[in-house]
Amino acid sequence: MRRRPVALWTAAFAGYAFLYIPLVIVVVYSFNDSRLNAEWVGFTFGWYDKLFHNEEMLTAAGNSLLIALVASAVSTLLGTMAGVAMYRYRAKLLSILVLTPIAIPEILMGVSLLIFFVMLNFTLGLVSVALAHIAFCIGFVAIVVRARLAGMDESLTEAARDCGATPFQAFMHVTLPLIMPGVIAGALMAFTLSIDDFVITFFTAGAGTVTLPLQIYSMIKIAVTPEVNAVSTLLMLLTLALIVIASHLTPSLLRSD
Amino acid sequence: MKRLVLLLALPLFSFAVNAKDQLHLYNWNNYIAPETVKRFEDACKCEVVQTYYSDNEELLAKLAAGAKGYDILVPTSNAMQSLIKGGQLKPIDKTQLPNLKNIDPAYLKTPFDPDNKYSVPYAMSLTVIGYNDQKIKELGLPTDTWAVVFDPQHLQKLKGRITVLDSSSELFAAALKYLGYSANDLDEAHWKQAAAVIKKAKPYWAAFNASSYIKELTVGNIWLVHGYSNDFFQANLDAQAAGRPFHILHGLPKEGAVLAVDNMVIHKDAPRPDLAHKFMNFMLEGKNSAELTNLIGSGNPNKDALKYIKPEILKNPAIFPDKAMLSKLEQLKDLTAAQRRVRNRMWTEIKAGR
Repeated sequence: MRRRPVALWTAAFAGYAFLYIPLVIVVVYSFNDSRLNAEWVGFTFGWYDKLFHNEEMLTAAGNSLLIALVASAVSTLLGTMAGVAMYRYRAKLLSILVLTPIAIPEILMGVSLLIFFVMLNFTLGLVSVALAHIAFCIGFVAIVVRARLAGMDESLTEAARDCGATPFQAFMHVTLPLIMPGVIAGALMAFTLSIDDFVITFFTAGAGTVTLPLQIYSMIKIAVTPEVNAVSTLLMLLTLALIVIASHLTPSLLRSD
Repeated sequence: MKRLVLLLALPLFSFAVNAKDQLHLYNWNNYIAPETVKRFEDACKCEVVQTYYSDNEELLAKLAAGAKGYDILVPTSNAMQSLIKGGQLKPIDKTQLPNLKNIDPAYLKTPFDPDNKYSVPYAMSLTVIGYNDQKIKELGLPTDTWAVVFDPQHLQKLKGRITVLDSSSELFAAALKYLGYSANDLDEAHWKQAAAVIKKAKPYWAAFNASSYIKELTVGNIWLVHGYSNDFFQANLDAQAAGRPFHILHGLPKEGAVLAVDNMVIHKDAPRPDLAHKFMNFMLEGKNSAELTNLIGSGNPNKDALKYIKPEILKNPAIFPDKAMLSKLEQLKDLTAAQRRVRNRMWTEIKAGR
């Protein structure tokens, strides 16, 4: 093994500590037998028990998951198509159209989507939130996919075409497997963006539609209880599981090639 | 083919039959007791669906953009004024609210809605002083005056142990009261005096804090706070539950304070105004209204509720102010755009200044 300078290791350690210590604290305090997130009192599963009996919180978490799954699936499909089109046809206008939702401040997008839905007389609810999330996730997926395509050897697709593949076959059997890590990374990104979005969700959610971020935010005024830590811990586990599964499906996802 | 269509339509149809009547309540979080909701659901054979906001401005922004589907909203008086001006509310039919007689007349016919055409009071809170009884006793500080928040003579003992609300309207109101003016005083010269008072006190304050002072008080980091009465009630509950050696008590400034009344109103596009009226009348019943007070320590404008309220809450003057105090409480009015500009400029100066 090559020796790396100590400074590099220290910097890396500090960087990771900064990223992960807050998360560890959240997890640890979800097992703390006190309403205050302030000092360690004793170990308990009480908050998880409370969480599983808290219908509101569970509904909110369920809604968030459902929306995130739908939004990431649809936006991955559309975003990948957009990314490929942007790369292949170098269409300026398309890039602008796809990427604008990323650059627009969220609050502006939230308000304009709300006004748009109201104008169409579209009932606000889970569907309107999912549509809004798809709208802002497409751009992120498209960027990642296009970046992956830019690093791909074009001659591979050409070789497939020379061997008699139709454009569709060449895409499915050669291009898509090669850009798969990008597609999966895009999907994961869309999933996380959707599950923690507050601003756009706030404006596009209708009466009675609650997602996890909306629920937690409304609790801030009356002090966040460790139930929130518990639900966050479960979400972290889920995200971790998703990453593990994704990296098993495409081993190159976690490799830096 | 016909059968297939029928088969597909069946679940839709059964859904329509099973769907219960729903009342959509757009409320603050933890602002109605769960047992009250349950009882109302049983009584009306309907389902109460709650959505929450954490700020009046959130509510206003969302409704201004045209969101609908809500039956009942619970805005604070000054936000209600904007809603009325914006034509967002439906007038209430008082013949359906026989329990309206339970409300203390002192809380009816306010300038915000002179004839209660749109609103009935729901619950209230006071902006007062909350303190750690042990520490404040040790330091020998008064708790019945805004001087403890603004006078450097007291503040030097509290340096870094006191926070104030991160809200220009609340802080200016407290400073204006301290100076002996109305909380709604519009004289710019008086505002300048208030700003000077705030600037002089600022170096002693640990922070402008509107969201985490409940925790800071219960943990014991902060000893005195300018904040909302029901938050101090919650802080004390938390402190006792955590076995702290101190209590968090309310200090009611003799100069007067800000009163915030939240009101039930019906949205203009309410899908179920009939259920909304039923709900209003239900919440005006003493017992139902008292459950909220017992849960979060909010003030209660309902005379009929008093007999159901826990005695230790009832005798707290910062939750149930007496007649003399009531005359010194003021509800904040909205500022005009021009006034707000002046106020914002002063506020920016205060927050940016060192």
